[in-house]
Amino acid sequence: MVVEYITQALVNLADPFVLLLMVSGILLGILMGSIPGMTATMTIAVLLSFTFTMEPSQGMILLLGIYGGAVYAGSIPAILIRTPGTPSAAATIFDGHPLSQKGEAGRAIRVSTIASFVGGVISVIALMFFSPVIADIALRFRSPEFFALAFFGLTIIASVSGDSLTKGMVSGLFGMLVATVGIDPVTGFHRFTFDIPELLTGVEFIAVMIGLFGIAEGLRKYSQGINSGNDRVDQEITGVFPSLSDLRSIAPVSVGSGILGSFIGAIPGAGGDIAAFITYNEATRWLKDSVPSFGEGNIRGVAAAESGNNASTGGALIPTLTLGIPGDSVSAILIGALLVHDVNPGPGLYQEEPVLLYTIFVGFLLIYVFILIFGMLGANYWARLINIPKSHIWPAILVLCVIGAIALRGNVFDAWIMLGAGVLGYAMRLRGYPLAPMVLGLILAPIAEENLRRSLVLSGGSPTIFLTSPIALVIILLGLGAIALPTVRSLRA
Amino acid sequence: MVIQKVGAVLDRIGLESVRSSPLSVFFILFSAVVIFFASQFPSGDGVGPSFFPIAVSVGIIFFAGIDVLTGSETELEISEFDFRPAAAVAAFLVGYVLLMPVLGFLVSTMLFMPVVLYYSDIRSKLLGVALSIGFPIALFYIFARIFLVRLPEGVIPVSRLLPQLPLVVTF
Repeated sequence: MVVEYITQALVNLADPFVLLLMVSGILLGILMGSIPGMTATMTIAVLLSFTFTMEPSQGMILLLGIYGGAVYAGSIPAILIRTPGTPSAAATIFDGHPLSQKGEAGRAIRVSTIASFVGGVISVIALMFFSPVIADIALRFRSPEFFALAFFGLTIIASVSGDSLTKGMVSGLFGMLVATVGIDPVTGFHRFTFDIPELLTGVEFIAVMIGLFGIAEGLRKYSQGINSGNDRVDQEITGVFPSLSDLRSIAPVSVGSGILGSFIGAIPGAGGDIAAFITYNEATRWLKDSVPSFGEGNIRGVAAAESGNNASTGGALIPTLTLGIPGDSVSAILIGALLVHDVNPGPGLYQEEPVLLYTIFVGFLLIYVFILIFGMLGANYWARLINIPKSHIWPAILVLCVIGAIALRGNVFDAWIMLGAGVLGYAMRLRGYPLAPMVLGLILAPIAEENLRRSLVLSGGSPTIFLTSPIALVIILLGLGAIALPTVRSLRA
Repeated sequence: MVIQKVGAVLDRIGLESVRSSPLSVFFILFSAVVIFFASQFPSGDGVGPSFFPIAVSVGIIFFAGIDVLTGSETELEISEFDFRPAAAVAAFLVGYVLLMPVLGFLVSTMLFMPVVLYYSDIRSKLLGVALSIGFPIALFYIFARIFLVRLPEGVIPVSRLLPQLPLVVTF
């Protein structure tokens, strides 16, 4: 059966248009990832509108190409100008930039390319291996278990809240509040719609995402000075392949970080930045006698961070596709992209859309092969992308944000929602509120509410239903632990 | 009585911490309004449609309240920022979205682009004209003609004057 699905996936991927989408996505991802401040999340949110009329598999291949390309390319400015292109490349700076200062930027970028490939491939293999198992278990879930899962996802807000747990909670809860607009899923009552027909189906989640990650970032950039921080790169990156000794040196750490990064990526809320910091930290712990020391230009440090952050991409898709719970903010947008096509991510996806799933798996694997090729051959050109002035890019991004919102349902109302979310996101960022919890709240609130109320109907209103299901109980306890740990840590601090 | 109690609490908190936490105060007020509206929803059997919005709003008031009391709403980045450019760009965007249904995507984008490009310090006339005209047309072909995404045409559908693509690619 699996062989049949893989064969069908390969047939889908052999379509020249799909290959064109894949390559375009990777190149766009590399372009945006190479420019500091242009994150993978923002790029995918802004370019999502291109996929609205495509087949779901075509759209996903384009978006995954952008995702992989941006996460990979974030390392290039991290190495060259000590500024990560995307947040997930922050840990790459520690050893990547010292290598660049020694005149070994090319070596660092080549190591980063190989490690990104290894991490990415390991994560896709983990995705292919673990997803069916998790989906199979989740098929037996009923409302109490689904509520527990959504509760767990929401408690993860605590871990993605950055410095302030309270601000993260406010952000996440506000996302949940926004998600209650529209027709009540149980009684059909119109909540907060104020007789506006566009609100009957709720606030368009994708419009909010475009506002939060596109407009808010744009306003922030203009506030800082549109051309501020335009570092120039004049270094010539020569050579294509890393040396055999470098390959031997980074192989174990790349594989180990790939496995660990996949696991971390699969934890809802833990994105590439967290994965990279943990894998880098583990590498420094396990290889502490390494020469040169970590932080002074050790290629193993670059490999650990880059393998870890790229491995989180496939890992993040595990809960996204099998449980409908996003692994990070990019996979939250991917959920939105699937929902636009009436494809519901969750355990049923394996039965309803197995070919789509295997097209995503095999396609993502192929994306990493292309990233390896483009990374090896084009390092010198990608490094030059850092020199593109941001003043040339932002006006175009602002237009794409507006079109993206309008194209959702063909009405201007969603553009107003998007602008409102953008202004709110801008204010939240200035005031130290993280935006990722709001996205988690938006996605998980409908799952949490619907299943909570269904569970209580099943139990005749008794909340003990969550205690009588062992799976729900364990997941709820894990969720409580996710809140308790950071709280205890902050109290101790 | 209630007003006196609220006043006493506010005195204890101190007006300064309220002033220094404008966004937390906004979230608290917003949640209070939500609770007001949600409390008017019909109560269903068991947990009705008002339960979730009210529970979430109470949570927001609780956590935002802690932020106000502890004064933890930071001005971390604010000193590095000039708000005027952001306000100007937001105003351009509002104008752009207002014009969209009237003038259509093509014309309103051709008006929006030069304004934002100029505001972004792009002074090259050639580049400005090329981006202001070329970019909207390219986007129109990509979205409306290739991906068949519906874009606003406006009162006078100028975009229909554009020639069809020689090779129509649709999905």
